[in-house]
Amino acid sequence: MDILITGVGGQGIILASKILAYAYVIEGRNARTGETIGMSQRGGCVVSHVRAGNAHSPYIPVGGADLLLSFELCEGARRIPYLKKDGFAIVNTAMIIPVSTALGKSDYDVEKITKYISENTNAIFIDADRIAQECGSFRAVNTVLIGAACGLGVLELSTDSIIQSMKKNIRAQYLDLNINAFHSGMKATEEMREKCKIM
Amino acid sequence: MKEILLGNTAIALGAVTAGVRVAAGYPGTPSTEVLEGVAKYNTDGKISVEWSANEKAALEVAAGASWSGVRAIVTMKQVGLNVASDPLMSLGVIGTKGGMVIVVADDPGPISSQTEQDTRHFGKFANIPVLDPSSPEEAYEMTKYAFELSEKLHLPIILRPTTKVCHSSGTIEVDTEVYQYESEGFVKDPKWVIFPPLSYRRHLEIEQQQKEISVLFSRLPFNRIEGNGSIGIATGGATYAIVKDIVETFKLDVTILKSGAVFPPPDQLYGEFLHRVEKVLVLEELDPVIEEQLYHVMAVRKIERPIRGKLDGFVTPAGELRFENTLDYIEKFIGRKLKSIENKPVIDLPQRSPVLCAGCPHRASFYAVKKAMRGKKSVFCGDIGCYTLGNGKPLEMTDTCLCMGAGITVAQGIKKAEPDANVFAFIGDSTFFASGMTGLANAVYNGTNIIVVVLDNSTTAMTGHQPHPGIGRTIMNTSSPKIDICSVAKALGAGFVKKVNPFEFDEAVKTVREASEKNGVSVIIFEAPCVALVKSHGICTVEECTGCKKCIREIGCPALTVRARKVEINPALCYGCGLCTNICDRIIRL
Ligand SMILES: Cc1ncc(C[n+]2csc(CCOP(=O)(O)OP(=O)(O)O)c2C)c(N)n1
Repeated sequence: MDILITGVGGQGIILASKILAYAYVIEGRNARTGETIGMSQRGGCVVSHVRAGNAHSPYIPVGGADLLLSFELCEGARRIPYLKKDGFAIVNTAMIIPVSTALGKSDYDVEKITKYISENTNAIFIDADRIAQECGSFRAVNTVLIGAACGLGVLELSTDSIIQSMKKNIRAQYLDLNINAFHSGMKATEEMREKCKIM
Repeated sequence: MKEILLGNTAIALGAVTAGVRVAAGYPGTPSTEVLEGVAKYNTDGKISVEWSANEKAALEVAAGASWSGVRAIVTMKQVGLNVASDPLMSLGVIGTKGGMVIVVADDPGPISSQTEQDTRHFGKFANIPVLDPSSPEEAYEMTKYAFELSEKLHLPIILRPTTKVCHSSGTIEVDTEVYQYESEGFVKDPKWVIFPPLSYRRHLEIEQQQKEISVLFSRLPFNRIEGNGSIGIATGGATYAIVKDIVETFKLDVTILKSGAVFPPPDQLYGEFLHRVEKVLVLEELDPVIEEQLYHVMAVRKIERPIRGKLDGFVTPAGELRFENTLDYIEKFIGRKLKSIENKPVIDLPQRSPVLCAGCPHRASFYAVKKAMRGKKSVFCGDIGCYTLGNGKPLEMTDTCLCMGAGITVAQGIKKAEPDANVFAFIGDSTFFASGMTGLANAVYNGTNIIVVVLDNSTTAMTGHQPHPGIGRTIMNTSSPKIDICSVAKALGAGFVKKVNPFEFDEAVKTVREASEKNGVSVIIFEAPCVALVKSHGICTVEECTGCKKCIREIGCPALTVRARKVEINPALCYGCGLCTNICDRIIRL
């Protein structure tokens, strides 16, 4: 099981990968993660690879990911080539406009990007930022997206293991909020589950 | 118990399990989490953990501890070892007592470093053994072993992980027992005082010892031959894991030579490998170290095998090895396609280059200097830290960057060659303590009129917010004396010294003008904390934007975005620093 998580620095991507990786360990599998964080503390591209099973190297090969969990629209598009032919993408529709776009040097064309993602993979779009806000904090966007993946039934993980892993990896004062966010994310995609099985 | 541990954390836990008592380091990606990990596991406070002022200080602290019989670890990134190379070279001669491990993280790519240097050369240069882990799991085992090995050889050991090991995590069965020992303390002995005759004697011994270590390394499980088949692939470090994935995925009949204890080279094992195969592909990141070692063994043992690698241009000399290009090299080497990757189309997407955060005080400082010096001939020497990003558009306030601390001294050289320019040197607070003070002394002593701008954001931001000598707090969260940069600058003889908050913008601009008109060395300290350390000051908003976008063109803050031709401020990013209110009256701070 190879999951690529992508987004922008500061969105909680590394924590999401920890939660998932540890959940696989709870279920008796080996897991590894690989992070590419780059230069800036915030605002740069962040990618984390989560691999459950017996792979030796931390990075998922291009064309090898079972699931793409994207925290930001254009970052999701950027990593589409990592997906397997029959892989899934769960894409947060939230946008973080880069400075190059504000300066007018590059175009952030929402329609074009969305179309590209839909045409090139089995994608599900959700407004995870809004769901996280409704649960109490935009910071919970990572647990919303994990919930969404769980709701789709593509993680090969039980809900219990994920919650147990959240308990280990999230600070006590934020735990309830995040468990709530996880369930909301799950609800958002559960109904799409049947549809995915057909695809 | 099984844990998921980051490579760097695994090294930290390995050291703690091995009974490390003194840990010192200087932050630097991708090494930083090692020392932070030691601090985290130091729950009973028995380990003395410190962020040193720089890498040279850290290595010397650890050497003193080792000479007193306790186990010590030092951590740094690869360029840090350049700074610490003076003590390193002599320590290779004098040797150690308590186990001493020097963790030096290399960064193929480079992803977040100035150079793509290969620390394995330093092992050879200083006659110090080098261990090169291929995964977090192996890094954990190697760290524990390195302390034993150091005590057996009376030499420090370099542990050289690379980014793919440091910043990846693996599933590790962790030990619960910590190694226990008594140390006898520092015992006076002439062997701790380096003198030419001692150096000569030790040199003879060390060369002999290198041969013995090579024999030992040929039998070490970190070095091994796997599989059979007449095709040989020699590899090490993180690339071994990739080669392994490829060999298993495509069920290749090859013989792998894995080099984990890479210096001194395990010649015997290399010889055995060469005898078993007909031809060899060497896959390693950075320099062709294993490759050259193999050529050496072929020459000495009179073996002849064709070798493809970096030396003949078969493998790229620069950048990372990833699954994709490694697979390409293997396919080319064995002469058949293994996988038809069906590439998905790609589209043009907006670039997302690293930028100064919204609310970053460096933006205000740069903008104040830019505004003050508009129309005047000026050169802006930069240095290393978040503020190196000041070179990007639209600020464009960094004209040079060489290495930590060099901004102040490079500025002096430029001023000598171009006396009519206003030459500025920007330097961060952590960098100032690491290697800026000597440069300042040099400027004062030699009477070079430059303007030094210390960007004091009360932290080492670039590497993830570590404390330093100017903060008043240690890595263990205890308080410490706080060294005042203003007083240091005055004591070093700077003529004009002034501290200003860069967000008091008019005052900041005025101060820059004043400093630039003074003779002698001037020091401005722009003091305002990094946004990661403080709560937001509120929020800015635009009222009836005319769409001129001057704010974006002037300061390029990531919170300023454009929608329907008008500027909007993203409330999730804005810190309410108010810098943009100095550009446009239509922006107000709520
Ligand atoms: C010799 C050396 N050691 C360590 C590093 C890693 N490093 C990069 S920037 C930096 C310090 C940045 O701190 P500061 O000067 O306070 O600037 P800030 O990032 O806070 O703006 C360090 C330690 C390096 N590049 N070179």
